[in-house]
Amino acid sequence: MSPATLQTILTAVKILLIVMVVPAIVGFVIVYAERRIMGFMQGRLGPNRVGPQGLLQGLADLVKLVTKEDLTPTRAEKVSHFLGPVLSVIPALTALALIPVGESIRIGGVETSLYVADVNVGLLFLLGITSIGVYGIILGGWASNNKFSLLGGLRSAAQLVSYEVPMGLSIVAVLLMSRSLSLVEIVRVQDRLHLWFIFPGLLSFFLYFVSGVAETNRNPFDLPEAESELVSGFNTEYSGIKFAFYFLGEYTAMIVVSSVAVTLFFGGWLAPFPHLLPGLRIVPGIVWFLIKVGFFIFCYIWFRSTFPRYRFDQLMNLGWKWLIPLSLVNIMVVAGCVLADTRHGRGLRGLGWVYTGFFILLFALSRLRRRLAAAEAR
Amino acid sequence: MSRTPEQDEADYFAARAKAAAALHNPPARTVEAPKTLFDVTEMELNFGPQHPSTHGVLRIILKVDGEKIVDAIPDVGYLHRGTEKLFETETYPMAIPHTDRMDYVAAATSNHAYCLTVEKLLGVEIPRRAQLIRVILDELQRISSHLVWLGTSGIDLGAVTPFWYCFREREQILDFFEEYCGARLTLNCMRIGGLPFDLTPRWAEAVRAFIDDFPKKIDDYETLLTDNRIWKKRTVGVGVISAEECVEWGLTGPVIRGSGVEWDLRRAQPYECYDELDFTVPTGKNGDTYDRYLVRIEEMRQSAKIIRQCLDRLEPGEIKGKVPRVIKPIAEEVYASVESPKGEIGFYLVSNGTNKPYRLHVRPPSFINLQALPRLARGHLVSDLVALIGTVDIVLGEVDR
Amino acid sequence: MTLLKKWLDKLSLLDLFDGLGVTGRHLMTKKTTIQYPEEKKEPSDRFRGMFRLDEERCIKCTLCAIECPINIIYIDWHNEKNEANKSVKVLDRFDVDLKRCMFCQLCEEACPTVPKSIWLTTKTYELATYERNEALYLDIDKLTEWDENVKPFTITEQG
Repeated sequence: MSPATLQTILTAVKILLIVMVVPAIVGFVIVYAERRIMGFMQGRLGPNRVGPQGLLQGLADLVKLVTKEDLTPTRAEKVSHFLGPVLSVIPALTALALIPVGESIRIGGVETSLYVADVNVGLLFLLGITSIGVYGIILGGWASNNKFSLLGGLRSAAQLVSYEVPMGLSIVAVLLMSRSLSLVEIVRVQDRLHLWFIFPGLLSFFLYFVSGVAETNRNPFDLPEAESELVSGFNTEYSGIKFAFYFLGEYTAMIVVSSVAVTLFFGGWLAPFPHLLPGLRIVPGIVWFLIKVGFFIFCYIWFRSTFPRYRFDQLMNLGWKWLIPLSLVNIMVVAGCVLADTRHGRGLRGLGWVYTGFFILLFALSRLRRRLAAAEAR
Repeated sequence: MSRTPEQDEADYFAARAKAAAALHNPPARTVEAPKTLFDVTEMELNFGPQHPSTHGVLRIILKVDGEKIVDAIPDVGYLHRGTEKLFETETYPMAIPHTDRMDYVAAATSNHAYCLTVEKLLGVEIPRRAQLIRVILDELQRISSHLVWLGTSGIDLGAVTPFWYCFREREQILDFFEEYCGARLTLNCMRIGGLPFDLTPRWAEAVRAFIDDFPKKIDDYETLLTDNRIWKKRTVGVGVISAEECVEWGLTGPVIRGSGVEWDLRRAQPYECYDELDFTVPTGKNGDTYDRYLVRIEEMRQSAKIIRQCLDRLEPGEIKGKVPRVIKPIAEEVYASVESPKGEIGFYLVSNGTNKPYRLHVRPPSFINLQALPRLARGHLVSDLVALIGTVDIVLGEVDR
Repeated sequence: MTLLKKWLDKLSLLDLFDGLGVTGRHLMTKKTTIQYPEEKKEPSDRFRGMFRLDEERCIKCTLCAIECPINIIYIDWHNEKNEANKSVKVLDRFDVDLKRCMFCQLCEEACPTVPKSIWLTTKTYELATYERNEALYLDIDKLTEWDENVKPFTITEQG
């Protein structure tokens, strides 16, 4: 077999793995983790009856959703009603093709890379693909022949489109630091510079993550699907497997946002402190990657159980009036630091130290002020 | 000018014929076609009797212009059970379990108001120990009701965890009630003239231990919500009502205190032993949802303080005053009210000398506070409506009786 | 100065981090969940549960039926002569409609016997039935024999 055919077969295997493994992970691990962790944070045990410690809860949910009656409202637009969830899942799964989980592995004499495709305009492709996900929500909301769904769908569309701008702009800062749009190259640059882009890009990361949470319709930006206000918004009229698809799309988008954050800012598959703790490199890159992505998913769940919800106009205000100007300022600052030392990245390191010092100072001052105010009140 | 009976009759029949004609031949509806492509008309939505933003079966007919509310008309009556009619068919002691079921979240205060009304008519004096225990039960009920409000209000606005923390604390309070009178929600914990039971041996210490621990828990809720910028954005400036309007509409409870009027029946018209207890009545400044939230949180702290003082003053004694076996009050009208967690709950009793009341009317605080909802909601967005229903703190059992 | 403080708080997102701290701390606390039905909470002594009748103690005064706010107690009795040729009341029918009972305890309070002949402090609250008729009318056999080991409880201690 020629190497080209082998590589094609391997790519097909990797695609199959993504399409089969990721929904399984989403259904079994993330749904279970979310319910369990949210339960623990709320002072109760989450589901712990199905299987030992409730580990098979994902299976129970899957069986329930698959065997539910698949309703389509009578006067709904059938084609769009069907396409909505589909258009929500496909972009998310496609985006996973770009994300490098590790460098490369050898299995039985065959060497293959741990990403499906190393697109040299990876970041651009990602941004484009996530924009297509908006269609799924609009179609779902409109095709349901339901005023509430329509409202929810339109709101969600406006929110998603608005928050793509700060997301893109914050990624531009990373682009300046890494000089390449390819995700694999970005990790390699972080490796070469021995500097994770979180340090000079703290503000970028913050902007990216907040926009990411808004992009995936999660608390505190989950008004379009808030139960108490619009009865579940655009997915009110969906049940059974179509609802499962919307769910799947949302959680897969969560994974995509977390993975991209890890790749861009936290070194992808790199071990932390390679100089100080060389022993940590024994752990394979894929494990590091999973730990980091897992931490971000935990952050998603943590946000959901802590924060109230933004109202829609406040949400738009936040996106347009705060995040976009901040991201523009961020680009200028990072550009300046990059120009300061293009070879060794000393400017970037300086920026990282400035950020660290600034935030430590800010926290210390805030805590001090808080403590003083409490002592005064007493 | 006086009309003869024949003229009256003719008028009556004419009006009847007109109504019948209108019923059978309705005028043709003329819907004007929109003139331009962007002609905006109002959309009428049903915030129906079933919706997840609980509080009970309340239907609100919303007229919205895009997202802004033009009018919000509450349509109540889905939980009407004819309680006031039931009162007329039962003797005085039998009515107490029915008062539980009106405001089912704060049953002790409803019981208390009813018992106070009948005792006022009978002229019974309540022994001191009974007064102290009644105050303790009332304040425990206030904490419990405010915990429910805080939890559900949080969930309506997206903060899902305070609900669970509040209900965990409320479990302990419900356990106290269960140990005292046998039920957790529909208490039946007061009798005309005093109380049904005395306290069990370890009740007082258990309540004291709970009260000593409680302020830390309130600090937890406050850390999650009070300074949170998202919470503030959702509640500051939402549903502002001025003090004059509150007084005009007859609103009571935390709603009027949030607008700055220091009106609390425990201070203004003290009953039981409130006049010798030391507590502050919290008031707000702006009359918006955030102020009402702060008022209720502070009320919980003050209730803890009151309970501690009452526990300190407990001494052995009688728990029931001298009440005849068959209660037949004099034929008079009387009104007595109590500060419930929702506002002023009062009973207006018209007695005709028999052992059953002639008419017993309830002044439900939730019903009267709900009347302000259209005024509060006008101009706000649909998302704020949920916050407003929560801040008015209604219980449909009391609204509909 | 206050403006500076306000901006400091706004920038540092301290309120959000404090909130995260509260939920994070609760992640590690001991949970208060009771795993029903393997673990059950023991009701208190005064808990108003399922009612029980003791036929021998009952003097058939029908005060409980009169006091019931919902009128769900139906009592029938007739006079009979016993061995000493005295006229005693014999119970024909003592039906209580469990579906409508609100467990208010007014019947127990009205009962004049000591200890009470009808009492609710049986610590039983699991009253669901599969058939509607099982809860429709509890005839006298059902009322007196549904649980042998239940003793009447009278409240004697002072607080």
